[in-house]
Amino acid sequence: MKPNLYQPISSNIVDIIDESPTIKSFVVVPEQPIKFETGQFVELTLPGEGEAPFTPSSSPKDAKKMEISIMKAGRVTALLHQCKKGQKLGIRGPYGNGYPIEDFVGKEVYIVGGGVGLAPIRSLFLTLVDRIKDFKSVVCRYGARTPEDFIYKKALFGPWQKISRVDMRLTVDEANGHWKGNVGVVTTILAPDDVDVKNAVAVVCGPPVMMKFTTLKLLEFGFAAKDIYLSMEKNMSCGFGKCGHCMIGKFYVCKDGPVFTYERIKGYPKIWD
Amino acid sequence: METVFISDLKPFLDAVAGQMDLYVPKKTGQGSPAGGQGSHGAGSQHYVFVRYDQSGQAPVEFNNIRACMPVKEFLFPLRELAAVFPEPWPPAGEPVEPKQIKPYAVFGLKDCDLRSLECLDKVFLEADFEDPFYIARREKMFIISSDCFEPGESCFCNTMEGKPYPDHGFDLNISQVSDGFVVEVGSQKGKEFVDGNCELFTEPGDDAVAERDRIRAETMEQLQRNNAELKFDTPIRDIMNETFDSDVYDNEAKTCVECQACTRVCPTCHCFYLYDTKQGPRFAGTKQDYFAKMKMWDSCMRLAYAQVAGGANPRKILGDRLRHRLMHKFVYFLDRYGLQMCIGCGRCVDAEAGDIDIRAVLKKLNEELKSTKVAR
Repeated sequence: MKPNLYQPISSNIVDIIDESPTIKSFVVVPEQPIKFETGQFVELTLPGEGEAPFTPSSSPKDAKKMEISIMKAGRVTALLHQCKKGQKLGIRGPYGNGYPIEDFVGKEVYIVGGGVGLAPIRSLFLTLVDRIKDFKSVVCRYGARTPEDFIYKKALFGPWQKISRVDMRLTVDEANGHWKGNVGVVTTILAPDDVDVKNAVAVVCGPPVMMKFTTLKLLEFGFAAKDIYLSMEKNMSCGFGKCGHCMIGKFYVCKDGPVFTYERIKGYPKIWD
Repeated sequence: METVFISDLKPFLDAVAGQMDLYVPKKTGQGSPAGGQGSHGAGSQHYVFVRYDQSGQAPVEFNNIRACMPVKEFLFPLRELAAVFPEPWPPAGEPVEPKQIKPYAVFGLKDCDLRSLECLDKVFLEADFEDPFYIARREKMFIISSDCFEPGESCFCNTMEGKPYPDHGFDLNISQVSDGFVVEVGSQKGKEFVDGNCELFTEPGDDAVAERDRIRAETMEQLQRNNAELKFDTPIRDIMNETFDSDVYDNEAKTCVECQACTRVCPTCHCFYLYDTKQGPRFAGTKQDYFAKMKMWDSCMRLAYAQVAGGANPRKILGDRLRHRLMHKFVYFLDRYGLQMCIGCGRCVDAEAGDIDIRAVLKKLNEELKSTKVAR
């Protein structure tokens, strides 16, 4: 008998971290280890309530536990935010492709993230930092709505800033009294000389409108469409290219993505909607 | 292929029903006969599949065209249980239901139905992502197909590489002739049935086979006459690609009432929706409530179909959804699996509450491409 694709693996919530007013990170331990590649996603089930797709924010090195950062955005995520330590969730996956890390070797990796888009990027960042000597540099540009809205604050304002070969800049849409940094959307801190576009790849993850304008900016800088990696967010439901909800043109984002080069999907309409 | 003959359907169907559950076509609804002129619309006569009645009280019917019900209903029910959890969890990876599925037979499937199975097989039997529920039902299905005659006003299979009679994909195929039925054996399962029930079958006479071939040719000619105006100057895939930005979709979608009937009755549409629910304490003898993950048919014509929690939706506009549905049928599926996903059965034409006729849309796109080419 074939294994049941729809059956989630029972997983315990062992910790919950308040990241921002709208985002919490859940540390979950699946009853069977789930191996994933950075950039792949899982379907998280709140038993009896619903299921939604998330890209783990933890390093794939640790298959025993997984961290998932969740923004309160709809019905299921609002209910997930009410979950307590010790509660059980279900996990299916991982699904889709991850970031092609080997293709990044020897290059500058230009990471542009916004809001909860930092979640998949954290997993990628940890993976890159783990073997940082393999890359020429890792250049990060992150944006959040306000300083409170940054997630992973401790690491972001502390140790991550001090890693050699890592260049990090942050910005907020709206500042408050304590903020000394840049004010403006993330594209305002992107500069043509941040990286050498001839030997760099860009990784973009964030809200659709941010991804759109970042991509346009990167093209303006001379990035080739094939060197821009986008983590697409669509309504992934089954996770294996059957149910149809996440289709962009002929692609199933869940199976052919969620990581796409801009080259691959640029011909399809309304990819940012 | 081995060919045999029966003079009467009832003893044959009784023998099938003696071995497994059997579903047969039954005419239902009011108004003009199935397939006749003016069959358009929900109130008209059409065929559905019902459990075979061995008592002999219900007459045995031979459907002239495909039933209204798409064959996917047997393989992929409108709603099914996909997973249960948590305590006690079923043993890891054990499907919930498939092992309970018993062998069954369906009589009266047509060539379009069998071709729709080819499409569904591509999706649900795909390596690495095989759907255990679909596989179980597919393996247990004994297919007794039959030839069409008097094709319906909405049938256009001949323009979609189809025929009014199957030549593969069945276990047994039945062709009605004047003094009986020619039975073609199409699989090992079919051969085993014929060998195991040899008292039912005789050798077919040459005249019976000749008559079958004549009826087949006549039916094909009738289809060609019915669809004489549905001609494409370029392969449909190219027409669709080149007219991607056409206004035809928005214009055609104006009468759409989003009833989603087109995707429900379409035998190749296979979108589904997963949802979670709490169930009462009925599972596996426990007294505990359990949670169920359900799988239900969905429709890409539905507004919120592609919408994400944050509100973004790449197909907010109805015309965009109509275009996506047709692009999937004629381009995306073909590019991915090497098969066109429209088989020309015309069920969507019959079912549409909003009067969108897929043939008319294709014709308009073909015309548009032709005129732009002339203009160039």
